[in-house]
Parts: sequence; structure tokens; C-alpha cells
Amino acid sequence: MAVVLRYLGALALLAVVTAAAVRIHLNATTAGFVYLIAILGIAVRSGLTVSLLSSIAATAGYNYYFLPPFRTFTIQDPANWVALTAFFVASLVVSRLVVNARGQAESAHARQHELEALYGLSIDLFAATSRVGALAEATTRVLTKVGAVSGGLVLFGASTYAQQVVTWSGEAEDEIKDLIAGVGRHQESLEFPGRNGRDVFLPLNVGGHVGGVLVVRGSAATVRALESVAALVALAVERERFMADSAHLQALRESDALKTSILRAVSHDLTTPLTTIALQVENLRQNLSANAATAGSITVLSEQSDRLRRRIENLLTMARLESGQFVPRPEPTPPADLFQAAREHLAALAERRPIEVQIDDDCPDVLVDPVLAVEILVNLIENADRVSPPGRPLLLIAHRHPVDDSRVRIEILDEGPGIRQTTEPADRFLSEAEESGDAGRRGLGLQIARGLAAANRGEVSLSNRLSGGAAARLDLPSAAIVRLAEASA
Amino acid sequence: MNRSRILVVDDDPGIRDVIAEQLTAKGYEIRSADDGSQGFDRFRTEKPDLVLTDLAMPDVDGFELIHRVRAFSRVPIIVLSVRGGDSDKVRALDLGADDYIVKPFSIVELLARVRAQLRRSGGIDAREPLAFPDLIIDVNRRRVTQGHRDIHLTPTELAILECLARNAGRPVTFDDLIDAVWKGAAGTTNDAVRFHVGSLRRKLEPQPSTPRYIITEPWVGYRFIAEPVG
Repeated sequence: MAVVLRYLGALALLAVVTAAAVRIHLNATTAGFVYLIAILGIAVRSGLTVSLLSSIAATAGYNYYFLPPFRTFTIQDPANWVALTAFFVASLVVSRLVVNARGQAESAHARQHELEALYGLSIDLFAATSRVGALAEATTRVLTKVGAVSGGLVLFGASTYAQQVVTWSGEAEDEIKDLIAGVGRHQESLEFPGRNGRDVFLPLNVGGHVGGVLVVRGSAATVRALESVAALVALAVERERFMADSAHLQALRESDALKTSILRAVSHDLTTPLTTIALQVENLRQNLSANAATAGSITVLSEQSDRLRRRIENLLTMARLESGQFVPRPEPTPPADLFQAAREHLAALAERRPIEVQIDDDCPDVLVDPVLAVEILVNLIENADRVSPPGRPLLLIAHRHPVDDSRVRIEILDEGPGIRQTTEPADRFLSEAEESGDAGRRGLGLQIARGLAAANRGEVSLSNRLSGGAAARLDLPSAAIVRLAEASA
Repeated sequence: MNRSRILVVDDDPGIRDVIAEQLTAKGYEIRSADDGSQGFDRFRTEKPDLVLTDLAMPDVDGFELIHRVRAFSRVPIIVLSVRGGDSDKVRALDLGADDYIVKPFSIVELLARVRAQLRRSGGIDAREPLAFPDLIIDVNRRRVTQGHRDIHLTPTELAILECLARNAGRPVTFDDLIDAVWKGAAGTTNDAVRFHVGSLRRKLEPQPSTPRYIITEPWVGYRFIAEPVG
């Protein structure tokens, strides 16, 4: 109807122009210009077909009324053919130009609208997803805004088939899953006719790869516009993940702070009474040394409280190492000093059992945290002591590593029953020790030694000696300071 | 008998009392205080021969106490430090503390440290040869005898040995050694000190695997562990 009206309007305009021009006896040139202006007007108002038809009608009217012989469609003067053709061409060109320009203006206008809509959408989306878990409702609003009948948001887990449906409305046919997976793999938008108009599957680029798919069903919006929407949704997904991560981090930080304060409290509350106990035991020993039986139990008391104290210290150290509150400070240390310190720590043990020391002349210093290294030795020596027959000596050896020049090997040799050879991975030794009854050698002490050795870039291994008994090996980095020192000396 | 007076400063009454009891049993006269500011007051009124102080205390802590005492007194100070507080140890030594002992410690260890400090403050005659079990260091004649062996030391090694031996029982920091032996020469590193001490120990110790004279003090420096004779 509107089209017919546009045609009639155009004809009416041409009729009025013709009547007016005839009435005031315009000459052919002026009449031509007036017609062109009319065509221009029509082209601006109507489409290309209307203005083209109007051009033909105007050419006819121009010929009929203004080119002699008047009121005929014939042309006498050949020059007037030129005029008529020129007029026709001019009116066609005018129509074409005007309509093109109008088309461009219209598409610019549409783009502007689209941008405004996207902007509104982005504001909306980010306002809606300022908290974790709001993605579903935000997506629903997005789908409504782009005029979708149904659809939803699907995110990928480990693979494109591990799909997590964030939100979905309307039917969810089985093939949808495969389509979504396909889009995820090929990373391209997919568009095909569906029950309610058309379905568009849009990949979401999250953190550099396709992390999900936005499905828009029955929307009239262009694919380009929908892709922009999908990009926004992808940003929202990324934002939500980031917020979830940072919430997680925050929780971790808080739990870390809690751990720190617990550690501090435990460390203080355990160490202080233990120090007092140790001193009091010493006190008792001196006051009651006359009675042999009492002296014996006091020795046990002192040794055991000392072991308890050391165990607690070790566990606290491990916890501090793990939480990064304590960083080992390696320092070149002579193995002799480590052995000496370990024996001082184990004074009671050293009284019961001979501990022999053997250090190769060319054995370099070790580059370790000395306090930790002594603890490693103490644990390994205690373990060896527990499985050794009474009175038999322990042998502490330090020498260059047989293969690796950058390491020093420290060995604690006992004359016990040896260890049950195993190919099990090291971290399973606890349960394994329980079942083999070898808990004296393995167990917490070994675990602590291993943990502390690892913190010193070293490792602990157990093996059997050919001559019977076991060897606990501690390989530690060597401190090759000699060259340095010679240079500076 | 001239009884040495010891001031014990610790905010933990358990530890303070045991230490006091033990030291009293060994014939020392004990004064105690439960924080740094009371400790300083007592120091001025009681004029102790030695101070034994904790580092972590409310209000005026051990560091502040050392600082205040050192402003006018050379009385030996032994610090009770917690394990792992290595930077605390060095800071306390830098402020003028003479030694530290790490909690939890044994009474035997504590008594040994106290004896070493009281002996030192008694003064060692610089001209006399330094005598230790099986070891005589005659600095003037540049002669060192260990057991029945004459030991030939380089001038650097002898200077290190003298510095350590004169501070027997007390930790000597790397910086102390560099000051005393190298006169603080720029560019002297801890590694250079380690190198010379290592070679000194190889010559000096009859059994290097079981040191009798010199041991390392983790992160701090060295300690001469033999007790002087005579």
C-alpha cells in the first residue's frame, strides 16, 4: 500500500510541476531544471525504482510539453534529441546518487543504533555480573535484548564435550550439544535455519581460547551484531572467572594468615614449657644424682623431652618451609661441624653408643642451612640407633659424591638388620613401613629428614651395606668456595 | 670467695626461676628482672658482673637493654635467643652482646657460657702465651704447639687463631675477624675468611673430623671452644 502511495505521490508531483511550467510558459531549458529538482525530491523521499520510473515519466512529459513540435512525442530538431537524452541521463544519475547516499546514511544510522544497543548491553552485563554467579541471569537478559526466542550459555570444562550449561531456555535437543562442541572446536560462528527463524551459535573467546558457546535462537539481529554481543558475554565470563579466582586467592590468603598465627602460637606455647621442663629435669638430675635408679629415669625423662622438643621444632620448621615463612639460608659448612653439632644434640645417645666419624681429606664443605642439616643428621642418626644392636658403633662418613662433583655424600652406617629392599616410590614409605614393621627406621624421622633435605637441595636414600646393616645416604650440594677464596686471598 | 653477681632478665618466670636456682646452686649471686626497663634499673643499682637477657620482651626488649647497658658498661652480656632467630643473634652481637645461647638450652651449656664470659672479663694478659688443653699459642715467638707437634701457620692463620683464642668461648663474627686480621681491608669476603679458617683447622686439629678447638657458628662466624688452662 505504502509503495503504491509513493508511486502516486511521485506522479502527482510531476503532474503539478508540468502543469505549473506549462501555465507560466517556461522554456525548454528552465523546464528541464525544474523537472530535475522534482526528480531529486522524489529520490530523496522514495526508493530507487520510484525515482527511476519518475525519471522516465518526466522525460516523456518534457518531450510532450516542452520540445517542439509541442504536444507530440515526436522531435523535429535533432539537437533536441541531445537535450532529451541529456535530461534522461541526468535524471537517472541524480536518482542513483541520491538513493545511494540515502542508503549509506541509513546504514550509518543502523550501525549507530547497533553500537548504542551494544553499549547499553555491556553496561547492563557488567552491572549484572559484578558478583560471582550472576552470569546466568545476565545472559538471559542479553538474549531478551537481542530479541531471541530461546537459547543459552554453555561453558566448556576440560574438553568441548564437558559442557556446563550456565543458562538455557526453550528446547534443548540432543544435537545441540554436538553443534556446540563443533563450534567450540572450529572456533567459528554457525548459523542455520531453525524452528523459530534462525539459530546462531557463537564461540566465546575466554582467555585466548574458546571457553564456551552462546546460542541465540530466533533473533533477527545480524550475525555481526550477535558476534559483538558474544564478545561481551565472553568478557563477562572471563570477569566472573577472575572474580571467582580472586575470591579463592583471598580465601587462601586468609587461611595462610590463620596458619601463620596458629604456627606462631603453637611454636611459642610449646617451646616455652618445653624449655622449662628441660631445665627442671636438669635441676632434678643434680638434686637427685645420688640415687642411681632415679638418675636413670631422669636421664630417660630428659632424653625423651628433648626428643619431643626436637620433633615439634622439626614439624614447625616443615610447616614454615611449606608455607614459605621460612627460607633456608645455605652457608658453606664443614661436615665435621655438622657431625659435631649432631653429636652434641644427641649427647645421651653418644654416651650409650660409640659414634665414629670419618671425613675424607679432600671432602669439600657442604652448602646447606647448617641448622637444618644438623636436624637431618640427628633424625637419621636416631633412626640408625633405634635399629642397631646395643653397643655397636655408628659410623658417620663424609666424602665427595662418587659421580657428581658438585655434591657431597654423607653416610650414616649402622649394623642393624638392614632395610627391606623396595621399589616403591619414596613418598609411600609410611604405610609401607607400617606393614613391614620397619617403622623404627622409617616413619616420621625419615620423613622429616627427607623434607629438610629437599629444602636444602639434597636427598636422602636408604640402602643395605654389603657387610650387613644399612646405610642412610644424604647427598648435599658442595660449597666450592676454594677457588673463590684463592682469588680474593 | 668473691661471688659473681648475675642479672637474669626474662619475662617468663618459669625460665627465670630455674636459671636463678641453678646458678645459685653453683655459687653465683642472682638478681632477676622481668623486662628490659626493670632490668636496666637493676643493672644500675646492683652492678652485676654479667647480664643474661631474653630478647623478646614487652616494652623495653633485650636489644634496647643491650644498647642502654653498652652506653656506659663493658659488663659481659649473654643473650637467650630463640631458634631460627639468626638475624636477632647477629643484631644482638652487633649491639655489643658477648654471646648468645639458643633456647631450649641445657644448664651445662649455660654454665659453660657464663664461666667463659666471667673469665674473659677477668682479662687475659696479652703478653702471656695462650694455653689450652694440648695447645699453646705463643704469639710473640710466633710458635704454636699442639700436643707434641709444632704447627707452622701462615701470618694470616696465626692472626686468625690469636683472635679466636683470645675470644675463647665467645662467637667471633666474620666482620670481627676481617677487622682484626685484615684490618678491615675492602674486598675481604666471608669466603676468604672461610678459606683461611679451613686451612688453619686442617693444620691445627689433631682429628679434623672431631674438632676440638674451632667450630663454625652458623651464619655468624666461628667459636673457639677449648677452655683456657692455668
